[in-house]
Amino acid sequence: MKHTLKFISSICLLFSVFLGQAQDVPEISKDKKDTEIKTKKPQTETVKTEVVKEVKKDSVVKTDRYGLRVGVDLYKLTRGLYDKDYKGIEFVGDWRLTKKYYLAAELGYEDKKTVDDRLTSAASGTYIKGGFDYNFYQNWLDMENLITIGMRGGFSTFNQELYNYKIYNPNPYWGELPAIDEYHKYSGLTAGWIEVGLGLKAQVVKNVFVGFGVQLKLLVMNKEPDNFENLYIPGFNRTYDGSFGVGFNYTVSYFIPIYKKKTMASEVVKEEASKKKKP
Amino acid sequence: MKKLVSLLLVFTFGLSSCEKDDICDANTPTTPRMVITFYDNNDPSVQRKISNLTAVGEGMDAATGLSFAGVSTIALPLKVNDTITTYKLTYNAASTIPSDRNADVLTINYTTQNVYVSRACGFKTIFNVKSVNRTDPDGDTVWMSTVQLINPNIDSENETHVEVYF
Repeated sequence: MKHTLKFISSICLLFSVFLGQAQDVPEISKDKKDTEIKTKKPQTETVKTEVVKEVKKDSVVKTDRYGLRVGVDLYKLTRGLYDKDYKGIEFVGDWRLTKKYYLAAELGYEDKKTVDDRLTSAASGTYIKGGFDYNFYQNWLDMENLITIGMRGGFSTFNQELYNYKIYNPNPYWGELPAIDEYHKYSGLTAGWIEVGLGLKAQVVKNVFVGFGVQLKLLVMNKEPDNFENLYIPGFNRTYDGSFGVGFNYTVSYFIPIYKKKTMASEVVKEEASKKKKP
Repeated sequence: MKKLVSLLLVFTFGLSSCEKDDICDANTPTTPRMVITFYDNNDPSVQRKISNLTAVGEGMDAATGLSFAGVSTIALPLKVNDTITTYKLTYNAASTIPSDRNADVLTINYTTQNVYVSRACGFKTIFNVKSVNRTDPDGDTVWMSTVQLINPNIDSENETHVEVYF
């Protein structure tokens, strides 16, 4: 219990550090943007010939690619090869909404057998998670790496199986009993949770990203079986005494570019348009 | 960037270290024993302390029997994998004079139910007592004049299940 508490508090501390960073970075970028726009303004006003405009585009205007990124969690996929008690797969996807915001979702299936000291159980089912990622990483030039902080809502439908259990008897006068092999299946279980995640995605080859993410989860809805407990929830992972959970994934994904957006140029155009409308 | 990666590593190590935090707390209510409270035969409202008593389960070695001294309440573990438990309760068991010792046998009939406790503790067994019978196979007189089943549902040790008058 003490350890769990220590662990949770340390995670909170960790996240607060990241949050602190997350707040710092945009401020700097804001300043940068301001200076960029300021320096650019006189240029756009003076520009009359198209030739000069093109030159300026190359030097300042940045093209952002928008599209769909789809991938798979390699950790879950490969774990099935060496862990006979585990089978799982998770597909990940995100859609770039704005410069920094991404709509993100994960869809998965897990089947995990857990051998505890006093009971052996298994959980299997599907889950879906949806939410957004905020990229707080300032890329150099045309790089497209991401360091994100995100939120998700998760939902899972699953069933649990109990293979065997031991009776806890603090006064074993009649002797300690072996585990009782009594199979039970608890189906139609559901659980819902919210999670905060930190992620890192690096473009290793053009359009191919390798990502790593950690999540802190909070169980908000949990339909428990009679005379048992949800010990493992697909997507949420192992449950603890409280309603906190943790998770991580290691993904490889492919980015499908759909359209491009010239961020700086459009901002300037917008400003000009608004100026023209005013008088 | 390097800082971030190292922090992530710390995070994953923290994750693996907390996996072993799974020991059943001794204060968790688990399989209960049957609680017997002794009352004075002459004044049934007053609890009476037994000076010394041993309880030996049927088929068990007398040396491993449970002994009680100077208490008015005792607790006896029931067999969790059976529906009958028999104890031989010997009054004044420590006495060297054989005639001072008196053994009665309690036979408890019950049904069991296994109830989930937690991941660390597993399950516990609770009992529903159907009957408690006192017999005297030794032929020495009975020392427990009345045995009363007060609470047939044994799901905790916080209450008396059986009252014995002597």
